[in-house]
Amino acid sequence: MTEQPKADEAGVILGPFRIRRLFQKTLFGVFALFGFIGVATASLAVYTVDTQLTQEYVSNSRDIAKTIADSSVDILLNRDLAALQSLVDQFVEIQGIRYIYITDETGEFLAHTFVPGIPEEILASDTTDTATVERSLPGMGDFVEVGSPILAGFAGNVHVGMDTGLIALKIQRAIGQQIYLICAVFVVGVFAALWFVNLAARPIGELLTYAANLVQRGGDAPEARVLERQDEAGQLARLFRLVAGGRRD
Amino acid sequence: MITRRSFAGYGLFGALLAPRARGLPVSDSEILLGTSAAFSGPSRGLGIELYRGAQACFEEVNRQGGVFGRKIRLRTYDDGYQPDPSVKNTMTLMLEDDVFGLFGYVGTPTVTRVLPLLKKFQDRSILLFFPFTGAQPQREPPYGEFAFNLRASYRQETGGLVDNFVRVGRRRIAVFYQADAYGRSGWAGVRAALARHGERLAGEATYRRGTKFTSTMRRQVEILKAENPDAVICIGAYAACAAFARDAVDLGLTVPIANLSFVGSENLLKLLAGVREDSSRYTDLLVNSQVVPSYEETSIPAVREYRELMQRHDPSPPKELVTESYTAFAQSFVSLEGFLNAKLMTEVLRRLGPEPSREALEAAMFTVQDFDLGIGESVSFAPERRQGLQRVYYTVVRDNRFVTLTDWHERFAKT
Repeated sequence: MTEQPKADEAGVILGPFRIRRLFQKTLFGVFALFGFIGVATASLAVYTVDTQLTQEYVSNSRDIAKTIADSSVDILLNRDLAALQSLVDQFVEIQGIRYIYITDETGEFLAHTFVPGIPEEILASDTTDTATVERSLPGMGDFVEVGSPILAGFAGNVHVGMDTGLIALKIQRAIGQQIYLICAVFVVGVFAALWFVNLAARPIGELLTYAANLVQRGGDAPEARVLERQDEAGQLARLFRLVAGGRRD
Repeated sequence: MITRRSFAGYGLFGALLAPRARGLPVSDSEILLGTSAAFSGPSRGLGIELYRGAQACFEEVNRQGGVFGRKIRLRTYDDGYQPDPSVKNTMTLMLEDDVFGLFGYVGTPTVTRVLPLLKKFQDRSILLFFPFTGAQPQREPPYGEFAFNLRASYRQETGGLVDNFVRVGRRRIAVFYQADAYGRSGWAGVRAALARHGERLAGEATYRRGTKFTSTMRRQVEILKAENPDAVICIGAYAACAAFARDAVDLGLTVPIANLSFVGSENLLKLLAGVREDSSRYTDLLVNSQVVPSYEETSIPAVREYRELMQRHDPSPPKELVTESYTAFAQSFVSLEGFLNAKLMTEVLRRLGPEPSREALEAAMFTVQDFDLGIGESVSFAPERRQGLQRVYYTVVRDNRFVTLTDWHERFAKT
């Protein structure tokens, strides 16, 4: 919808017409486009980061569990549990690993890193099972736990718990960075859209002003700058003047 | 964190220095020994007291002219009872300072991480003497050959405690322990001792190394209380064990609470005595195992000598290492152990003769047979015997000090 333009004392419409609806539609289009891009890229990022990080962490955990299992054989056979605990303590310093426990072939705990005690959920679980499981431990968080047998399980099993909260944190960071980028692009896009809309709207406004003057004054309408334009607005203005009975260039 | 790069750097630096530095550990005027121990953090009392006891002996030896004219010097570094600084300090001691031997280390988590270094640099023939830990790794293969121990092991301490508790009818024994190699070593000792009596651990709870006395142990007490134990054996350092004893009594877990020698009995008692005027309610249930006799037993020759030299020299820890306030004890079990360590070290250095070498140290240790250290228990070493003393003592609190426990039945029998 266009706004009613001002006119001088002689009835010449001065314009300019303000092109609001076109402007609003363009802005809405920009918002919609960026919203769609934002949601789509964020979703893709969440999926990609989550999948790849989880796979990487699980893979690393398996490697670590296997390394501990391989390193533990002699220590376990020597029944040197202090050395076993020392080994476990070194691995638990790796980022993302929140707990490690080692059980013997009967399921008895020989070394672990839990404070103040072994969680009930883990005590109640089948510690001879080395399959990857997801655990939610009250007061500790959510974990992906992987296992590895020691001497094919005849000497016990190693279990490594990776903190999925860390994965969530990394996803949050990745999404956060993406949102910052999209916001920055959005602001630039809005200003660019405004500039382009104004650029496109100015000749249309001049054309509207000229057309209104033609309607008001017929062939006596004053010359307008839009008539000099070589683009579609200029051609349209000249056509209007012809239709209104004005001179032909 | 020790990185491979820093490790390589040390190696290169050590190699560059080697030709010049090789002559340093023993000069015409001194023998240089290296120490890494806790002089800062919640367990600093252990490092400081052990150092004070050793220095009381070495200062007296030096005052009397040293060993074949050479003064015994300690190059000392602080590791705060943390493994990584301990490893870094040891590399410095071995590769830069080029010490004659490592002496008076404190703690299991630190020593267990240092042992592989001794194996790695075994061509330098540097041995570890008398660490303040009763853990197994420095007593057994593959690292036992690089260390000599004086004190009884944690297995012996925990075994003795369990045997005595079972004897007085306390069979349900729970463990409160530090979540590291030290705690696991004690845990394994209790578990093995209970197995000999056909029992299993009644319960277990852990704490993190470096926990302060101001921390709460409520959760740990609740976990153990739920198992209704007859006694609790603590494998920890004094700050955390004192916090546990305090919270156990406050929360109604009124069973005997035992501590190992490593705890640092005087520091434990000092913390508990500061809780309230009537501190006996916290300390009446304590029983601490010790690996040296009571410093109150003045009938023992080595104790008399220790008391006299502590009074005469009253050694202070190196000023540059003491960054936190600490009031030393005139006497303590830990400083007495440090004193006995130094006394034996001096004897071994004497046995090396006027031309000491690191390569001859091990052989000199094996010449120590039925040696009278002055505490009523002879000391012997052999290739398969890397521990000098075997005896464990038990002490309880009476009149705000630890005294020898004479009757387990009278004090702790289950009613």
